[in-house]
Amino acid sequence: MEQFFTAVSMLFTTWVVPAALGGLIWGILGGATPGLSASITMALLLPFTYAMPPMPAIVMLATCYIGAEYGGSIPAILIRTPGTNASAATIMDGYEMNRQGRAGEALGLSLWSGVVGGLFGLAMLILLTEPLSRLALLFKPTTYFGLGILGLSVIASLSSKSLLKGLAAALVGLMISTIGTDPISGVSRFTFGAPDLLDGIAPLFVMVGLYAMTELMMRAGIMGNIIKPNASIRVRLPRLPMMKKVARSQAIGCGIGTVEGLMPGAGGTVAAFIAYNECKRWSKTPEEFGHGAPEGVAGPEAANNTVASASLIPLLSFGIPASNSGAVLLGGLLIHGLLPGPRLFEQNSDVVLGIYVGSFVADIAQVVVGAVILPLCVWLVNRPKPYRSAFILALILSGVYTVHMSLFDVGIVLASGMLGYFMKYFGYPFLPAVLGVVLGNLVESNYRRSLVLSGGDLGIFLEDPIAIGFFIAAALIMAGALLAEWRASRVRKAVSA
Amino acid sequence: MRKDIFSSAILLAIAGVYYWVSTDIPTSTLEDEVGPRGLPVVLAILLAMVAVVIGTRAFMTAPVAGGAPEDVEAPWPRAMGMWLIGAAYIPAADFLGYWIALLLLISVVAFYEGMKFSWRSALVALGGATFFWLLFSVLLGVRVPEARLFG
Repeated sequence: MEQFFTAVSMLFTTWVVPAALGGLIWGILGGATPGLSASITMALLLPFTYAMPPMPAIVMLATCYIGAEYGGSIPAILIRTPGTNASAATIMDGYEMNRQGRAGEALGLSLWSGVVGGLFGLAMLILLTEPLSRLALLFKPTTYFGLGILGLSVIASLSSKSLLKGLAAALVGLMISTIGTDPISGVSRFTFGAPDLLDGIAPLFVMVGLYAMTELMMRAGIMGNIIKPNASIRVRLPRLPMMKKVARSQAIGCGIGTVEGLMPGAGGTVAAFIAYNECKRWSKTPEEFGHGAPEGVAGPEAANNTVASASLIPLLSFGIPASNSGAVLLGGLLIHGLLPGPRLFEQNSDVVLGIYVGSFVADIAQVVVGAVILPLCVWLVNRPKPYRSAFILALILSGVYTVHMSLFDVGIVLASGMLGYFMKYFGYPFLPAVLGVVLGNLVESNYRRSLVLSGGDLGIFLEDPIAIGFFIAAALIMAGALLAEWRASRVRKAVSA
Repeated sequence: MRKDIFSSAILLAIAGVYYWVSTDIPTSTLEDEVGPRGLPVVLAILLAMVAVVIGTRAFMTAPVAGGAPEDVEAPWPRAMGMWLIGAAYIPAADFLGYWIALLLLISVVAFYEGMKFSWRSALVALGGATFFWLLFSVLLGVRVPEARLFG
C-alpha cells in the first residue's frame, strides 16, 4: 500500500509524467517513420537521455518502446509498410481495412489493443519482476559470472539462421568490450595511445552505429513508399460492441505476448504473427481474416504491446535483454550506472517504480496522444525519403556528439556503422554483438574476481548453486539451439534431395 | 556461399590482428591469475576457430540455386557513399563549425538520395540546420563544434 501511495505521489512530484509523455511521443513518431524500428528509435533517443537524471531517462526509454509499437502500425495500415518489424502482421487486415475506407477504424483498433496489451504486460511486469529479482540478492562474483554466461547463451537462440555466425558476432562484441582500461589491473588495452579510448567504447555508440547508421547505409538510394496516405485521416476508437467483438483476440494476443516477452530472442514480431495465426484459428469467422477482419488487427497489436512490457521482466530481474529494444534499454541502464537485479530494486527503487508509473501513464495517454499526433505522423510518412534520411543522419551525428561533446565519439559511431554494414552484408546478426559489448565487462571482471578470491581455484564456480543453475540453463539453451539448427539442416537436405 | 568464405577470411584476419596487438598489452604488478591478456587471447583463438569452421562449411556446402530471397538493400558503393558523407562531417564540423557542417550534410545527403538542388531543397537544408542548432546549442546548451577556420 505504501508503494502505491509513493507511486501516486510520483505522478505529481517527479519528472515521470513529462518523461513518459516525451518518450511516448518520440516512440510514436519514430515507429511511424518507415525505416526506423523500435530499437533504432530508442537508440536515437539514448544520447539525449545521457545528461538526464537516471529515473526520467529510463522512463523515457521504456515508454519510447511502448510508443514505437503503436507508431509502427500507422504506416502498416496506411501505406502497407510496417514502421517496425512487430507491426508487419498488422498489414494483413489493417491495410485491407484502409482499402475499404476504414483506416480510422483500423488505427483506433490498433490504439485500443495497444492500451489493453500494454496494461496487461505491465501487470505481469509488476507481479513477476520483484520476486524474481530477490533471487539475485544472493549473488556473488561467481553468480554474476554465471549470469553473464547465461546472458551470452541467449545468443544461441538469437542466431536463427546460423549459430556459428551468431557466435562470431558475439566474439567481435566481446573484443570491442576489451578496449580500454583493464578492470582488474588497470592496464590499458587496445587504446593505441588514444586517451578517448581509455574509458572503453560505450555500448551506446556501438548500438547507435549498428542499428541506426547501418540502416541508413543499407537503404541509401532506395526509394521509399509511393503510396501517399490521406492527410485527413482521423483515429476512430472502437465502440462497446466492437470492443466485445475483439476482446477474445486481445486476450489471445496478451497471453502470447507475455510468453514471448519472457523468451529471449522471440520479441514482438514473432508474438504478433503467432497471435494473428491463433486469432484466426480460434475465430468463428476465419474466412474474414486477410479481408479486413478487426480481430486481425487487435490480436497482433495486443501481442506486440504486451511484449514491450513483458520483455522488461528478464531485463530488470537479471539484466538479460530479450530483444534489440531490450538491449538498448539495458545500455541506457548501464550508462546511468544502474545494474539490473535486486540492487536496482533496493538502491534505485525510484527508477523501478518510475518505470511502472511511467509505463502506466504512457499506456493510458496513448489513447489521446496517439490520436492527437496522427496528423504529424501522416505528415512524416509523406515526407520525401531524401529529406528523411538527411534529417536522421543529422540527428544521429548531433545526438552522439552531445554525450561527451566529442567528435571522436561520432567517429566511433561511424566505425560501428561500417561494422554493422559488413555484418548485415555477410548475414551476421547484430544482437549477439551488442550482448558481447554489454556483457563483456561483467563476464570478464567477475570471472577474474572469483579467481582472485579463490586463489586461482576454478572449483569456486562449483561451490555456488545459483551459478551452477545458470550454467545448466545456459547449456540447455545452447543445446536447444543446436538441436533446432541440426533439425533445420536435415529439413534443408531433405528438401534439396 | 562465396560471401561466407569471404567473411571467414575477414574474421581470420581480425582474429590475427587482435591476437598480435594483444601480445603488446603491458604487464602489471597488480596482475591476477588470468591477467589483462587472458581474455583477448582466448577471444582471438575462439574467433579464429569459428572463422575456420564457417569457411570450411561454406566450401563443403553446395550452393543453393537461386538462394534465399534477401531484403532490398543498397549496392555497396552507394552504401559506402552514405558512410563517406557521414565521415566528411567530422572534419567539416571541426573546420567550418556545427551550423555550416550540418547545412552541408543535409544538402548533400538529400542530393545523394535523389533530391534535385532547388530553392526548396536549399530552404529545407537551411531550416534543418537552424532547427538542430537551436535544439542542441540554444535549448539543450550543448557546446557545439566551433569553426576553427574563422578563428
